[in-house]
Amino acid sequence: MIYLITALDAEARPLIEHYRLKRDLSLPYSLYKNDDIVLLVSGMGKTNALMGLSTLLGWRIPKPADILMNIGICGAPSEYEITEALLIHQIIDHEKRYYPDILYPHSMRETSLLCVDEPQSHNCEFPVDMESSAIFQAASRFFKLHQIAFVKIVSDHFTPQSVTKEGAIELIRSHLTLIDDLLSALQTIQSAPSLFSDEERERIDIFKAHFTKSQGDGLEDALSFFRLKNPMAPLVFQSDIPNSKRERSMLLEELITTLTA
Amino acid sequence: MKNSLPPSQPKLFSHLYIEKKVLNHPQTQKIMEKFEHSHIIMIDHYKEVFNRPNQSFAAQSSAKKLILAHKEGKFLHEGSQYSDGFGHQQFFYASSVMGCLYDCDYCYLQGLYPSANTVLFVNLEDAFEQLRPYLGNDTLVATSYDTDTMAIESLTGQTDRWLKFAALHPNLYLEIRTKSANLKALKNALPNERAILAWTLSPQAIIDRYEHATPSLEKRLNAIREAIALGWKVRLCIDPVIYTDQFEILYPELIETIFGAIDPDSIEQLTLGSFRLSQSHLRSLKKLRRSDVAFYPYAVSDEMATYPERIEAHILETLLAKATQFIPKTRIRTWQRQS
Repeated sequence: MIYLITALDAEARPLIEHYRLKRDLSLPYSLYKNDDIVLLVSGMGKTNALMGLSTLLGWRIPKPADILMNIGICGAPSEYEITEALLIHQIIDHEKRYYPDILYPHSMRETSLLCVDEPQSHNCEFPVDMESSAIFQAASRFFKLHQIAFVKIVSDHFTPQSVTKEGAIELIRSHLTLIDDLLSALQTIQSAPSLFSDEERERIDIFKAHFTKSQGDGLEDALSFFRLKNPMAPLVFQSDIPNSKRERSMLLEELITTLTA
Repeated sequence: MKNSLPPSQPKLFSHLYIEKKVLNHPQTQKIMEKFEHSHIIMIDHYKEVFNRPNQSFAAQSSAKKLILAHKEGKFLHEGSQYSDGFGHQQFFYASSVMGCLYDCDYCYLQGLYPSANTVLFVNLEDAFEQLRPYLGNDTLVATSYDTDTMAIESLTGQTDRWLKFAALHPNLYLEIRTKSANLKALKNALPNERAILAWTLSPQAIIDRYEHATPSLEKRLNAIREAIALGWKVRLCIDPVIYTDQFEILYPELIETIFGAIDPDSIEQLTLGSFRLSQSHLRSLKKLRRSDVAFYPYAVSDEMATYPERIEAHILETLLAKATQFIPKTRIRTWQRQS
């Protein structure tokens, strides 16, 4: 599943259309979904972002291969062109620093981002937004750091009053291909993959239930050893489990010896 | 969603995280020149990046970043029970780099650090100052202990600096352990009688399976021959030995290959040791679920995981029997658990 989060309806609109997302009324937020993507509009500012994303991630807890992207517009110094898309490698919020891991090649300009409390009308050293630090804090509880990305599109040079709803929609719409590519890149980076299929996991857990915690840990290690050494070989379990504790222990010992031979 | 081709591998050190206090250090400046296309990110302290919670060591391994930092406190640490001090009065290892360019499945660094990124402490001059009080006595320093310094020598020049420092201090002995084949990185250094280049060697099948991103056996052997020809003292280490179902073929063949390429009289020692790891590092290795090495049913005693005694003895006997066909036993060192 891909989690998208925007602050504004205008930022979400092109994404909803592009990915054909449908409104979902499960949460007290503007929430849109299809089979692969869920998008939440949090509202502006850190508190809204923290509450909105925490609600979303608590409602649908991410799985190990899921990713999250925050997409939005931002103000930036004049050396950044209006309409330029930025990938954020450092978020600065007062004394705090946050670092998404960028482990994939991409064609975007990277930069640091200041996360501020209100729209900025004076020059700042870096581009600014109002949600990223809160999103990072909530997201990094659920995702590995390389599964979180922040894409900001420059809307103004610290003249927030010049930004219109239509302008924001167009800025996001003009970068949909780039967002597609970035989402694909993020999905290719896997952390530790699961060694067993869901069906295998179920069978392992049922089998382990016949043994003590320590014996179960030993079996788990032996199964992991076997799978890593023989990735294509199927796992075979004996279905008849003896009633006697001694015989069960012997069965387990034999199985571990076979798996680790 | 649009289907695009998977992206190619990212560049090594595509990002340089630099502590503000080392920005003007000459080594930082050199590295910035070398990696002029990398993204520069200024940080206050390396731990902001290196120690972040929820990093993926496995994912980072193929896209390592470089963190340049100032080491505060001790550069030198006393050698551990898992390693050999070779009879020197004092044995330290220097921790001037955290993390390794190579990516070996059995390496304890995966259990030691929360990140696969590399931290380079640029203020090596402080390590020399910390070592000076000890140099009245015979002292061994392993300069490549929590890393492979030779692998990044062309970037850091740290081994060269250690060699120059050792040349001035007659009680200082260096062990420079490596899997690197890049001997050119030491082209400006003079061989020193008190410095040993110690190569870790494994069968090619083990390299392919477990020692990712390392030079092939053939390249390592070529580098060793070159080092010997240049006058360097060399130690060969078949350590750690990974016990596999092909062990009886792979490792004796390795010894034959080594001594088919290298004159046994030209090396100082051969070290043999089977895989061993502290129990806590092994637990961390298991969490990564990357390699069967982590899940072997080891025997654990005094917090140390080793092969069961029977297998450990078999490994040593097999290797010793083969190695002594080429080199006297007096020049073979073996790692054995302290009883």
